[in-house]
Amino acid sequence: MFETNITLQQFLDGIQDTLYMVGMSLLVGTIIGAILGIILVVTQRGGIIPVPILYAVLNPIINLIRSVPFIILIVAIMPFTRQLVGTAIGTTAAIVPLIIYITPFIARLVENSLLEVGSGIIEAAESMGATPLQIIRYFLLPEAFGSLILSLTTATISLIGATAMAGAVGGGGIGDIAIIYGYQRYDNFAMISTVIILVIFVQVIQSTGNKLARLIRRS
Amino acid sequence: MIELQDIHKVYEKKKSEVHALKGINLKIDKGDIFGVIGYSGAGKSTLVRLVNYLERPTKGDVIVDGKYLAKQSAKALRQIKKEIGMIFQHFNLLESKTIFQNVAMPLILSKRSKQEIKQRVTELLDFVGLKDKASHYPNELSGGQKQRVGIARALASNPKILLCDEATSALDPQTTQSILDLLKRVNEKYGITILLITHEMSVIQKICNKVAVMEQGEIIEQGSVLEVFGHPKHKTTKNFVQTVVKTELPEKIKQRLTDKGIDRLLKLEMVGTEAMPPILVQLIRDDQIQITIEFMDMTEIQDTNLAIWYLHFDGEESKREKVIANLEQHGVRIEEVSVGV
Ligand SMILES: Nc1ncnc2c1ncn2[C@@H]1O[C@H](COP(=O)(O)OP(=O)(O)OP(=O)(O)O)[C@@H](O)[C@H]1O
Ligand SMILES: [Mg+2]
Repeated sequence: MFETNITLQQFLDGIQDTLYMVGMSLLVGTIIGAILGIILVVTQRGGIIPVPILYAVLNPIINLIRSVPFIILIVAIMPFTRQLVGTAIGTTAAIVPLIIYITPFIARLVENSLLEVGSGIIEAAESMGATPLQIIRYFLLPEAFGSLILSLTTATISLIGATAMAGAVGGGGIGDIAIIYGYQRYDNFAMISTVIILVIFVQVIQSTGNKLARLIRRS
Repeated sequence: MIELQDIHKVYEKKKSEVHALKGINLKIDKGDIFGVIGYSGAGKSTLVRLVNYLERPTKGDVIVDGKYLAKQSAKALRQIKKEIGMIFQHFNLLESKTIFQNVAMPLILSKRSKQEIKQRVTELLDFVGLKDKASHYPNELSGGQKQRVGIARALASNPKILLCDEATSALDPQTTQSILDLLKRVNEKYGITILLITHEMSVIQKICNKVAVMEQGEIIEQGSVLEVFGHPKHKTTKNFVQTVVKTELPEKIKQRLTDKGIDRLLKLEMVGTEAMPPILVQLIRDDQIQITIEFMDMTEIQDTNLAIWYLHFDGEESKREKVIANLEQHGVRIEEVSVGV
């Protein structure tokens, strides 16, 4: 049962690849997703800068991308990926579909978090003569911060799941080891240990996120 | 200071329209504490939100401090809003910021210097009695304390006007009293004009000098508080006034009077600080008139009292006329009423 073909080095490389893919796509996805999420909130009817047309265009696009299963998304955008990074295979290439996958998800999560901020807060801000940008910066974002942290935690965990599938395009990472060694070569040790590592990852991220959010909210 | 001219507000819903305000005319002078009272859905919140243009009228003009709000650019409007503070029923404080930061917010938005902010916020927190809470968060405060923070925040940018939308409706009677006292101090110390809306007549009674009664999008009655409390004309106004002043005879007393065969009474209404107006004392003593006080009620309004008396007059008819004339001469409102159960 504990015979295995993989080395410690392979594990460490896998962990590193996973962190790299999650980190990069989370970084880019958060920046773009947060901007989109803010746009969704402020431009909708009754928002602080209502542009219903923009909302009406953006909203279905986000829904569309979100409804494509990740594994299909990887394949579907391969030509685009190849153009962008020169290859459609490998860890760096896997980041492209990961970003496209996670960005609309984060946009939705950010939208929901910001919508949680009561209309009373916005009303108070407007009564103080705050500009729309000031409302976003001094009222919306700080009030939603705790909830935004939880949203990002959820997004990060989704990304870890998605990186495992990125193995399909030779993305590397922990999930890739589980599929290639554990699943295809019946290496039980590889399977169990990768699962344990993934579980630990998820646990650590979730509890860190929860703690952080609690810290922010209680203050 | 604030003028509303023939204001209409229509909310367009998917299919129906809500005519929330129907031709409102209102003039609020500098230094007034103007109260607007009405039942739920009367359009009070809509009205108060027009004054700082959180809501735009469908028709009509809002004029604040001589400026037509409809003619202002977005930027000018924001500047005007800084001269109008607002407090809310549910306080609307930033939960993620300390009390200090909450009060500082209007100043931060105006890009004031750190030093100026610190000085102003400290002064304001002292004024509202929350100096020791500066570094606390709103969820550590009671409702009354939160409203004090709301008031301090609204005063931060030195407004000329303070709008209060049901500012005490979420508070218990004692806390309400302390917040009302604070609002009175705001009015007196800083000369700030206050427009407050409420559904409690006791709030109007305690601090307002003028009142308007709203019903279904219209102002059905307005005037000085003493005038309206003493002579409510409209049914709704009477109902509101009844909640704090007993201007009508209680049923039990009516019953007793009818049993005794008494039908006609004199209803006297006097404004003053003395329980028994000197003129009445004098009449009883000098003219030897025979009266029975069947009912009286005295209510403190602003710095004086409104007294309502129901008297039964037992003397000769000629004397009665003379007494009535004499009382009227002394500024007592007098009215013949029938008891009729
Ligand atoms: N944003 C809105 N959209 C549609 N209708 C509205 C809106 N705001 C208020 N109304 C309607 O306008 C009318 C007056 O509402 P308003 O909130 O001004 O009443 P109010 O006197 O403040 O009542 P309350 O004492 O319950 O706060 C109500 O019929 C209400 O349903
Ligand atoms: Mg209201």
